[in-house]
Formats: sequence, structure tokens, C-alpha cells
Amino acid sequence: MGEQQGQRSASFGGVQARATAKINEARISIRKLDFYYGDNKALKQIHLDLPERQVTGMIGPSGCGKSTLLRVLNRMYDLYPGQHAEGEVMMDGTNIIAPSVDLNSLRARIGMVFQKPTPFPMTIYDNIAFGVKLHEKLSRAAMDERVEWSLTRAALWGEVKDRLQTSAMGLSGGQQQRLCIARTIAVRPEVILFDEPTSALDPISTLKVEELIDELKHDFTIAIVTHNMQQAARCADQVAFFYLGEMVEVAPAAQLFTAPKERRTQEYITGRFG
Amino acid sequence: MSEAPEHLVKSYDQELKRLGNLITEMGGIVESQVADAAIAILQRDSEIATRVVETDPKVDAIEREVEQFVIRMLALRQPLAADLRNIVAALKITGDLERIGDYAANVAKRSIVLSQFNLSLSLSGLGHMAQLVQGNLKLIIDAVSENDAEKAIQVWRSDQMIDDLYNTVFRELITYMMEDPRNITPCTHLLFIAKNLERIGDHATNIAETVHYAVKGEPLTEMRPKGDTSAYAVVRPRE
Amino acid sequence: MGGGIPGAAKNEAVARSLGRRRHLTNLFVKALCITATVIGLLLLASILATLLWNGLAGLSLNVFVTDTKPPGSHGGLLNAIIGTLIQTALGTVIGTPIGLMVGTYLAEYSRGSQISNVVRFVSDVLLSAPSILIGLFIYQLLVEPMGGFSGIAGSLTLAVIVIPIVVRTTEDMLRLIPATLREAAIGLGAPKWKMITLVCYRAAMDGIVTGVLLAVARIAGETAPLLFTSLGNSSGLGNLATPMASLPVTIYQYAGSAFDDWVQLAWVAALLITVGVLAINVTARLALRGKK
Repeated sequence: MGEQQGQRSASFGGVQARATAKINEARISIRKLDFYYGDNKALKQIHLDLPERQVTGMIGPSGCGKSTLLRVLNRMYDLYPGQHAEGEVMMDGTNIIAPSVDLNSLRARIGMVFQKPTPFPMTIYDNIAFGVKLHEKLSRAAMDERVEWSLTRAALWGEVKDRLQTSAMGLSGGQQQRLCIARTIAVRPEVILFDEPTSALDPISTLKVEELIDELKHDFTIAIVTHNMQQAARCADQVAFFYLGEMVEVAPAAQLFTAPKERRTQEYITGRFG
Repeated sequence: MSEAPEHLVKSYDQELKRLGNLITEMGGIVESQVADAAIAILQRDSEIATRVVETDPKVDAIEREVEQFVIRMLALRQPLAADLRNIVAALKITGDLERIGDYAANVAKRSIVLSQFNLSLSLSGLGHMAQLVQGNLKLIIDAVSENDAEKAIQVWRSDQMIDDLYNTVFRELITYMMEDPRNITPCTHLLFIAKNLERIGDHATNIAETVHYAVKGEPLTEMRPKGDTSAYAVVRPRE
Repeated sequence: MGGGIPGAAKNEAVARSLGRRRHLTNLFVKALCITATVIGLLLLASILATLLWNGLAGLSLNVFVTDTKPPGSHGGLLNAIIGTLIQTALGTVIGTPIGLMVGTYLAEYSRGSQISNVVRFVSDVLLSAPSILIGLFIYQLLVEPMGGFSGIAGSLTLAVIVIPIVVRTTEDMLRLIPATLREAAIGLGAPKWKMITLVCYRAAMDGIVTGVLLAVARIAGETAPLLFTSLGNSSGLGNLATPMASLPVTIYQYAGSAFDDWVQLAWVAALLITVGVLAINVTARLALRGKK
């Protein structure tokens, strides 16, 4: 019954106060980023670091700019006239939104997985080899090895190893998405961007992809945009909340979901949005 | 419960309100238990004492209900941020309130025994303690229903006074016991009663820490006032 | 909270009579559709039947080994057959790549711009232009300066007819490809032309091939433009620099003549064109299904 004097320090909440999640050095630094769809300013002065080999989750209501930001990172907006970006996105000392950057090699370093699985109308093998052939010249044996490595990392090898020469269109939705992930990692990028990767998948496939992301982060820096807050809570090391083109708050996941600092963040994640 | 806009799903707000009501109800019952227990000692009223003891199962029942309800809400609502802190706080607070109720019942039981003795000693110290404890309890229960962190900090700081008072009563009672062996039985009971009151004060402090974290999102970082020095108290007989 | 749905209570009798009326309308429209289908099929069947009846009667080995000859000399259709094959093939080979590239330009490089609207408009006008006009155009351009009719002029005319058809189908098929597939290829670091050739074309292949087949079917039977360009050759095949024989022109010559054997051969020629086009279609589709 008698407690020793001074041994009970701050109780409730104390565990959280002691354990601060470690956020690594930035792999990509975004500074003062503005983005325009024509005259419409969709991103306003974004300031965000993507830490090395960790997962950054981006949440926010529809139209808040999170997918737009993702697509700035691999210059996807270059495909569409009328969209342009200003500011700095620094990676290894280069501003990747400068016009002088070679887009093809940029996209070999920063890969993207989309919401809807998009296998190419080719065999499974060719799907994986497609990206690799764009940037490297590999012997048949080396290519076989790369294909096997990618499919293994994507947790798909066991299911398709006997039918590499069949069309990729014959796979299930969850398998197709993992194929797209394998295809993306086959070119050995440094950063992988996931744009709502599981919103078209059933719950079990979703969990498999989340487990995959957990493993991939040992080797790749990852950014994931998601509508599903529980997914951000499960997967991300740090989470950024976006609203109306601004980044409202960024914090380690445990902190953002238990004690966010901004009122808007709190209102969004507790489902009170006005 | 808060000035934030309502949840988009109304039933969520209704459930949170129900949770709040349960805690307020429990707080009210426990408050009157402690008050009645104090009266029972000071006025040697066995009827009131019995009432306190009989109320205890009701308090336990509410605690169980809150526990079930919290688990259900955690599973079904996946609460986050302030909602999460409030819901988990509710669980902790009812735990503390239930212990307070137990202590109050304990005090009431001992007062029934005490009333058989003719006490020549003054109960003013104990009475003062009971007053302070009741004051803190009322304040903290208000803080819970109003989500007031300031009141919580106040309670948290004023526990020191209760602890000091307890130390005084402790020494006083030991002195009485040394004077006259016939005092030992009643004084021992009084000692336990004083300890129970001090523990009620501590649990009120627990609730204060919980309320502060739930409201602010940060724990109370100051060192908890642990002023109970009775473990080291030595009273030498007057020579 | 407001209970119930606004409005008067459901009336069973009214609902039932409305239901009956709907049912009758349903049956009526269904009957109309079936009748129209039957009429269409009957027409088609009767054409085919006539073709087969009259064409098969004159079909013999002679048709395939002898050139066209004056009436009464047991002539065949060899030169006309070969001439059609050459001009159709050449027309397709010249017109398809051009049509493909224009269609690709419209779908991939200039979406939404003013110039693409103009190009598309011109292509559509050309698509519905009477083919005789195209023949006259080539006449001005090639036949007059060359001083005479030629097989190459005929081939070019057919190519010009092929182009807008292929443009149309190529653009439509490429537009059907979802943006995400393109982005997936670009996202891997593919330059635009590789994305188009390696991914988009593969995805749109079925549709594009169908478009080309449509074009082939169309030009195989074109008569009027050939009259002004390759003219037809009754004494042999000719070559690209001289008037060249072709089945449609032969039909034109023979069908209206007073000679029975010529009329007979005209029917055979018509049958051959129909069967030929059908064969191409079927083969191509089988080949594509195999690739899947």
C-alpha cells in the first residue's frame, strides 16, 4: 500500500511522453512549394521533409492537395500542359522541379504505384522487365534474377512463378496491384510513392499490401496518400495532414493520432469536420 | 462535453454523452458516500454508516457498465485524439472513483465499531481532513464533467495539505496510544480511517492527472506531491 | 424526427394498371425490334443468296487461270483478281501508316488543341466524301501529268480512302486507354514515344486492326475512283505505270453488257470480292484471338 516517495513520476500519458518516435534525416525536402492547375493554386507554400527509409502518410479530405503533392514529386504533372509548380523539392542537392532535370532518370529514382492496378497488356515477365529495360542493359540471366527478386519482394513470386509467360491481365485485383509494386521496385528506385494503393482492394489484399509496405521501408523511402486514417495510423512513421492546399500539421503518427496540436487536425481525424 | 463541432455521425456524440452521464452519476454517488462516511465518524451515526456500505454495490455496477461501454466504443468507433483520450480517461476515472467508494465504505464500517467506544480524544484533526478531502473530491468531479484542466491542477496541488494533515493526525494518534493502552483499539481504527481518507485524496489526485492529460494532451510533468512521511515517522515517548 | 415518406398512400389499383400499360408497351417495342431485325436479316440473306446462286453457277477453274477475254472466248478473271489484290494491298500499305500516325498525333500529342480539332474535322470530311471525288483528285494530280492511267494512281486513290478510316479508329481506340496506364509507363521512366509504341499500341491493337480491316473491306469494292485512275485493263494485268485491271471495274464493264458469259463472270467477280473480304476478316480475328 505505501508507495515509496518520488518513484511515481507522471502517470497517465507518461509512456507517450517518454518514448519519442525517431524520425530520420530527410531524403526529400520540400520547401515553399506552390502548384497551379492553370490559374487555380492547388498547393500553397508546402514545407515538408520525407525522412529516409520511413513511411510518410498524407491524409486530408478530398481535394486537399495530397495527391497533387505526390504527383509533383515524380513530375507527373509534366504530361499535362497548364499545370506547373514553383518552389523547391530538393533531393541530393538538386531541385527536381527545375526544368533542366532529366525526367526519365528522375522517374527511375522515384517510382509510383497508383490507385487502380494497371498491368500492361503483356506477360507477367514482360511487365516487370519493361521498366528495367528502359534504364539498364541486362543479360537474360540477370533479368530473370531481377524479375524473381522483384516478385519476391512484392510477395507475389510464389503465386506466379509457374506462369511468368502468361498475360498479366489474368491476375486478381490484389495480385495485379502487387505486380504493379513489383514492377516499380524492379528498377530499384530510392523513393516509392503510393497513391491510395489499396482503395480498390478487398480487406485481406489491403493488409497484405500494408505488410509489404512495412517490409519495403527497410530499403526505400516511402510516401503514401490515403483516405483511410486507420491505414495511415498502421503504416506511417510520420503523418502530414493537408487541408485546402495547405499542410496543416506533420507529426509522428502516434502523436498525431493521440494528441494533435492543430484544431483542424483534431476535427478531421475525429470525424467532426464542419 | 466540448466546444468543438459535433461528430458527423450523431450517434457517436450520443454515446460520448452517455459515457459522461455515467461518470457524473458515479461521481455524485461517491461524493455523498464520502460525506456520509465523515458524518458517520464525527456524529457516531450507525444508520448513515450502514447506508454508505449498502451503496457500494451500486458504484461497482456502474464501474462495470462503464468498462463494457468503453471497450465497445474502442472497438466500434476507433476513436482518435481527444476522443480517444477522453474515452480511456473515463475508464481510469471510474476505476479511481470505485476505489474511493470502497475507502468510504471502509471508513463507514470502522465508524460502526468506533461508536461502541467512549472517546476522550479530539476528532478535530480527522474532521478537518475529511473536510479537505470532500472539498477536493467535489472539485475534481466538477473538473471531470466540465473538462476543466485548471481545476484539476488545483486539486493536484492541494493534496499536499491533506498529506500534511495526515502526518499530524498520525503522530497525534500514536501519542494517545502511548498514553493509555485502553486507547489502542479505537486509535488503531482511527489510524486506518485517517489512512483511508488520505488514500481518497490520492485517488482524487490520480483523477486530476487523468483529466489533465485528457484535456491538454500532455501529462502533468511536475513531481507528484507525495507528502506522506508516515513511513519514516518515529514518535518517542515523552520522558 | 420526421417519420415516413411524404405523399399520398400507395394505391394498389393505380399501380397495377400502370404496370399493365408498361408491360404492353414493352411487348409492343419488343415486337417492333424483332420485326426490324427479321426484315434486315431477310434483306441480307436474300442478297447473299442471290450472290451465291448466280456466282456459284459460273465458278470454275477457268476463272482463276485465264485473263479476261472478249465475249465468247471463255475468258476468266485472273488479271482482274491480281490487279485488285495488288491495288488493295498497296493502298492499305501506303494509307495505314499515315492514318496511324495522324491518329496517334490526335490522341497523344495535341489533345484539346485547336489544330487537332481542325485536323479531325478535315479527316471526317474526307471520310464521308464521295469516293469518286477522290478519284478525280488523283486524276488531276497524277493521271494528267503522267499522260495516262496507271496502277499506281489507282493504289494512291485507295490509300487516300483508307487514311481517314484508320485515323478515326486509331484515335478512338487510343483515347479509350485509361490515363493511369499511360502514367504507369511514364512513371517507370519511359519516354513518350516508347509509352505510345510499347504500351498504348499494344493495348489498342485489337481496335486498330479492326479499323484497318474495315478500310480493306471498303476499298476492295471501290469502283468509281478506279475508273478515273487505273481504268481497268481488258487485255492483261498491266502494271503500276499502265492501266491496271481490277475486279470492281470488270464488274462495271461486264454487268451491263449484252453478253451472257460476261454477265455470268460479273456475278462471279462479285462473289469473289465478298468471299475475299469475309476471309480476311475471319482470319484476322482468329489470329488476334490466338494472341490473347
